[in-house]
Amino acid sequence: MALLTGWAAFLVSVGTIGCIYGLLTLGLNVHYGYTGLLNFGHVAFFAAGAYASAIVTMPPPSEVTNASYQIWFNLPMPYAFPVSLAAAAVVGGALAFLIGLTSVRLGTHYLAIATFALAGVFSDVLVNEAWLTNGSFGMNSVPKPGRAMLSADVWQLSYLLFAAGSLLAVYLLLERLMNAPFGRLLKGVRESEAAAKTLGKDTNVVKLKSFVIGGMVAGFAGGVYAHYLGSVVTAQFIPAVTFTVYAGMLLGGAASNTGAVVGAFTVVAFRESTRFITTVYNWIQSTLPDALSGVLPTVFSPLPNNPSFIPSMRFVVIGVLFVLVIRYRPEGLFGDPSEIQALGEED
Amino acid sequence: MVLDNLIQTFVFGIVEGSVIAVGAVGLTLSYGVTRFINFAYGEFLTYGAYLAVFIAGGLFGVSLPLPVAIAVAVLLVGLLGVAVSRVFFEPISHRGALPLLITSIGVSFILRNLLQGWVGVDARQLPVPLLRRKDYFGVQLTELEVAVIVVGVVTMLLVHLLLQRTMLGKRMRATSGNRSLAEVAGIDTQRVVRQTWFISAAAGALSGVLYAILFAPFRPGVGFAYLIVIFAATLLGGIGRPYGAMLGAFIIGIAMNLGSAYLSANYTRAYAFVILVAVLLVRPEGIRGGEF
Amino acid sequence: MSTDQQRSTDGSASDGSATDDGTDLLEVDSVVKHFGGLVANDGVTFDVEEASITGLIGPNGAGKSTLFNCITGVYTPDDGAVRLDGEPIHGLSPTKVAKRGVGRTFQTPKTFRGMTVRENMAFAAREQTGERALGALFRPGTIREEEGDIQATVDETLEFLKLDHLADEYASGLSGGQRKLLELGRVLMMDPRIILLDEPVAGVNPSLTNELLARLEELNDRGRTILFIEHDMDVVMEHCDRVVVMHDGRTLAVGPPEIVQQDERVVEAYLGGGDR
Repeated sequence: MALLTGWAAFLVSVGTIGCIYGLLTLGLNVHYGYTGLLNFGHVAFFAAGAYASAIVTMPPPSEVTNASYQIWFNLPMPYAFPVSLAAAAVVGGALAFLIGLTSVRLGTHYLAIATFALAGVFSDVLVNEAWLTNGSFGMNSVPKPGRAMLSADVWQLSYLLFAAGSLLAVYLLLERLMNAPFGRLLKGVRESEAAAKTLGKDTNVVKLKSFVIGGMVAGFAGGVYAHYLGSVVTAQFIPAVTFTVYAGMLLGGAASNTGAVVGAFTVVAFRESTRFITTVYNWIQSTLPDALSGVLPTVFSPLPNNPSFIPSMRFVVIGVLFVLVIRYRPEGLFGDPSEIQALGEED
Repeated sequence: MVLDNLIQTFVFGIVEGSVIAVGAVGLTLSYGVTRFINFAYGEFLTYGAYLAVFIAGGLFGVSLPLPVAIAVAVLLVGLLGVAVSRVFFEPISHRGALPLLITSIGVSFILRNLLQGWVGVDARQLPVPLLRRKDYFGVQLTELEVAVIVVGVVTMLLVHLLLQRTMLGKRMRATSGNRSLAEVAGIDTQRVVRQTWFISAAAGALSGVLYAILFAPFRPGVGFAYLIVIFAATLLGGIGRPYGAMLGAFIIGIAMNLGSAYLSANYTRAYAFVILVAVLLVRPEGIRGGEF
Repeated sequence: MSTDQQRSTDGSASDGSATDDGTDLLEVDSVVKHFGGLVANDGVTFDVEEASITGLIGPNGAGKSTLFNCITGVYTPDDGAVRLDGEPIHGLSPTKVAKRGVGRTFQTPKTFRGMTVRENMAFAAREQTGERALGALFRPGTIREEEGDIQATVDETLEFLKLDHLADEYASGLSGGQRKLLELGRVLMMDPRIILLDEPVAGVNPSLTNELLARLEELNDRGRTILFIEHDMDVVMEHCDRVVVMHDGRTLAVGPPEIVQQDERVVEAYLGGGDR
């Protein structure tokens, strides 16, 4: 069987990454969209889940090059897969619990900064504690479940299906949760903590629960990610991940699970497709008649010719997205304007 | 010997504290007037350092001497701050803190990546000479490190004079206390906001230059990465309180250097943050008064 | 002013409330609250009888809102005690005070703006299985049953408050007076022992004011205990069983409206002062 090529391979990989970011966005939406918690350290929960999965399933260091990790469980695939994902969710939730304990009592600004900084500290830990994380080399032998039994293409497709199924399951669980009185409780705390307290609700506990649930979802996403790429490296878990997830959530619409998924897919598709800009450019250039071949280079010549130009512009666009959505459409594509317009404004 | 080491580390902490203090004061001044924490603030540090390098290297046709280049860079970033506020923040200034906060994240992405797209990720360096440390009362410092402390202290003094002795300072304090009341009193608060943005961004740029002098080389992510440290100092002093920010900055600077010297150099940012968390656990509302 | 600071623990009436013959539900006993050098409450003492309407009046800065915050756990009194049914509640968190059965509204209503009137109301219902994450996921039957009851109570209460036509509106779209009604409705959903209202009719248009006051009377007729802060003397005199007058952080007088109205200290400090 031929390897998936061209568009098909691209779509499968965008689909899988989209599902993973969809999970991340659903988790963040519990925090920000439903509870109003400005969590700027979401990537830490994602990383915690990914590393948990890696540690649970990595082979002994003796079988891996450049290994300095000292804790591994080497659980056998594919049966260890569900265990690994459960571990990812639990560890993501546990980290959220710890960060939440120190942070949920804080006001908006303090919470934003505390989560942002704690995620920064957490990433320092990942880089420096090589006995646990293999340092900046990363854990590069995370088993891909079922890969031994399937061809590369079939595995890619199967994993896409699995990721999509996971996303659907989490989506349905969260919909159920948010449409139940639990969702009402979160929203009330989001709208006015003072009022929620005087109505007999323990807002700190509510916020902590919200934190843990969103953290578990993000941790789970980390597990799915680790077994998809087969490698977990610190450089994957930078603050830009948190804010890419924010971009997806804001675009899709805060406090809308559908919006979270659609927004995440849109942002991932955009991000991945910018890879083809140079390909498209070269293709256009090659189809132009010779007489016009000087036009495009002249038009684009003021642009700097360095390799980080296009990747950087990608993030400029994400930044612009933040600004435009907040200014012109705070409810995003699927949010409820009456609900979201005033988010963050105390009565 | 042990004591000498401790004192030396302490003084290094004060050197770095000077860098942090300049940055933290700028951040906290803008919070005082705009009422949101600006996550794009780190980019002012970055732009300050980069512009200083470029201007000294002949951006305007001639290579200016470094001190002049730094001054020009600081002024330009001040203007950038005003522009950023006009374009991004003033149009939504009535919408409360959350939209402003999130917008500032977007602005930080835009500024940082525009720069990175233009100049690439290669590390840059200010054209400062490598100096040997000299003995000052038993403490070893380079002349540049002494200069950083002097610039830091002078900046603190200027901010103090600005706040206490000038009309702008009075207007800033009035606007910070109660914006609508200040308007009723006939203060052009929009103008105060613009002037504050200028000062805030310029202070950020200066802090970035000082950072670049101490810790060259640097890349486009330098300011964003240092944001945690500046936030820690700002929060420690209580957001919106310039004198608190100065104090917080020196505490953080010293803690980071002590931690790096005696615990592990891998967790410099973490020390700043651990101190902050410890304080916040005792006073979760930060160091500010209760509401009445 | 000779408020007796050394009161017996059973909390019987202080001076000026000699007509007291019912059971005291809420006892405010020598509550003191400082802010820095400022004394907001300086030994406030009075009782609220079960099933009464009690008005709390006093000039601006008399410390009325601070007292509300001391009673509801927003502030911890520096000294003195607050008791509900003889049990001390001062120093408890706002959440715990609310769970004990103290419901309150705010001077500026704190409604949940991004939620509908119905959601605002249902939020306040007590002990919901579906408020727990696991309950919400795994006990759909129980939730459906409870939610049915809650929604029935919501409908009933909204109808009583004449807000039923707004049930599915967002709270952000309500007028100031309607928000005050909604806040009252939300408190009623808690089924509280006592309701504390902070200026329930301030800034509300006259027809809605009458409506609101009529509702309060009706609630009282059904046995609800109400304590409210009010500036409008006429409202207090007309609708209250008892009046507590505060001045400079102290209780100046406590008693039935007709008697308090004639109290010289009250006339001097408040009614005569012109600042109503």
